[in-house]
Amino acid sequence: MSGERGGDALVRLFHVSKSYLAGTWALRDVSLELRKGELAFLTGPSGAGKTTLMRLVFAAERPSEGQILILGRNADRLSPAAVPALRRRIGVVFQDFKLLPRRTVEENVALALDVVGVPRRQARARVFSILKRVGLQHRRFHSPLSLSGGEQQRVAIARALVNEPEILVADEPTGNLDPELTLEIMDLIAGAAARGTTVLVATHDHALVERFGRRMLRLEEGRLVADQRPTGSPT
Amino acid sequence: MRSALVGLRSSPVTTAIAVATIAVTLLLVGAFALLISNMSGLVERFGREVRLTAYATEALAPAAGPALAKRIGGLAGVERAEWVGKDQALERFRRRLGGEAALLAGLEENPLPASVEVEVAPSHRSSEGLARLREALAGTEGVAEVADGHAWVEGYARAVSLLRTAAVGVGGVLGLAALLIVANTIRLAVYARRDEIEILMLVGATRTFVSVPFLLEGLLQGTGGGLLALALLGLGFLAFGGALQGAFAFVLGSAEPAFLGAGGCAALVAGGALLGLLGSAGALAQGLRA
Repeated sequence: MSGERGGDALVRLFHVSKSYLAGTWALRDVSLELRKGELAFLTGPSGAGKTTLMRLVFAAERPSEGQILILGRNADRLSPAAVPALRRRIGVVFQDFKLLPRRTVEENVALALDVVGVPRRQARARVFSILKRVGLQHRRFHSPLSLSGGEQQRVAIARALVNEPEILVADEPTGNLDPELTLEIMDLIAGAAARGTTVLVATHDHALVERFGRRMLRLEEGRLVADQRPTGSPT
Repeated sequence: MRSALVGLRSSPVTTAIAVATIAVTLLLVGAFALLISNMSGLVERFGREVRLTAYATEALAPAAGPALAKRIGGLAGVERAEWVGKDQALERFRRRLGGEAALLAGLEENPLPASVEVEVAPSHRSSEGLARLREALAGTEGVAEVADGHAWVEGYARAVSLLRTAAVGVGGVLGLAALLIVANTIRLAVYARRDEIEILMLVGATRTFVSVPFLLEGLLQGTGGGLLALALLGLGFLAFGGALQGAFAFVLGSAEPAFLGAGGCAALVAGGALLGLLGSAGALAQGLRA
């Protein structure tokens, strides 16, 4: 990426604080960097500030204090008109999938391509390809309501990845899934990191963090209290 | 447009409610417009009866009559001026008497004066306008006296004024109520699809990208509501127009109630489209802020 400062760091937070209510802090003085292709887990108890941090990364919130650089853009200085262009470079996955129940699987995934004006024919081919990657090409004309929880999350991941984003943000993506499906979904997300996407996954699941052995960021009461990298990885 | 159609198809109940609400609201507006347009036609018809008679002086030579009528025809506020000579006046009187016309047989000379009958232009069919015209006629050379049915003219002017006030007042209130109802209905439709808006914004849709299908949906719903209202109004007119004519025959005379003209029909449908568009725009402004 040309124009990005901080080497290959795609996300940089400098002493970021966020307050929704005067006197209380959802995030307090958080500084961190996420590099290209890095997969990091964000852990911490409920209310620790995980979702707030995720929302800051996909520019749904602005910091109350500090600076945040996303893909080389200062998020605090982004005009509202510039936010959509940034969001197109970031895929987002939620615990509750956020699929449109009255649209087919294909239409749900194609939304991300519609907004950037990809021609329909080309969009269908790309949607087919990404659905094939998540193993759901045969369900593309189905309603999300007819799919299992794991399948719905795979559709949400397909929608998040179909645009080949540089950053993928997943907020408790396996929170509603059983252990077997959790591994399936995490393999897909880790696969995106292996392809060069920077991935930040918020989770409560310590076993998952340990199993994947990747960088772990721990938040408590809005503060970053731990930043553990797997042994042997560059700091 | 494709997104708008998908949106309409994906929420058929909300769409049907929005279209029905717009249709019912516009049906009320349309029925009122129909009433006003027919009453205006009636008033216009009565207006043509507003006439003044300028009696010619005895000294005016019969040959100068048409020239006097022509002069009067050129005055401001005169729609038409017709010379009625003494003989013509007597002949009219005789026809009006019908079977009693024999009464006139004993007359040694024609007692009726020659006159110019003046049809008043719409711009002067008010008390003030008529007073001005009366004054102008009285000041015209060759005119001895000007006569009118003063009370009738006053009543006519009051009816016109009442109709105009009612049209503006009731029409304004109905229009505002329609806008509020439609805006609220569409706001609910937008609210029902807030997840879709949220997801679109999340995947990087611009405000325009999100808004245009909703605005088009509003426009289509409004147009649909307008067409439905027009159809219902037409059916209602066919069903009850004849009965109304019978009931009001003593007022309408031989005049038949008329349906809205092409312009009125187009205005009703366009009004629906505009209401749908404005309602969507208002609801979206709120939805996107949220």
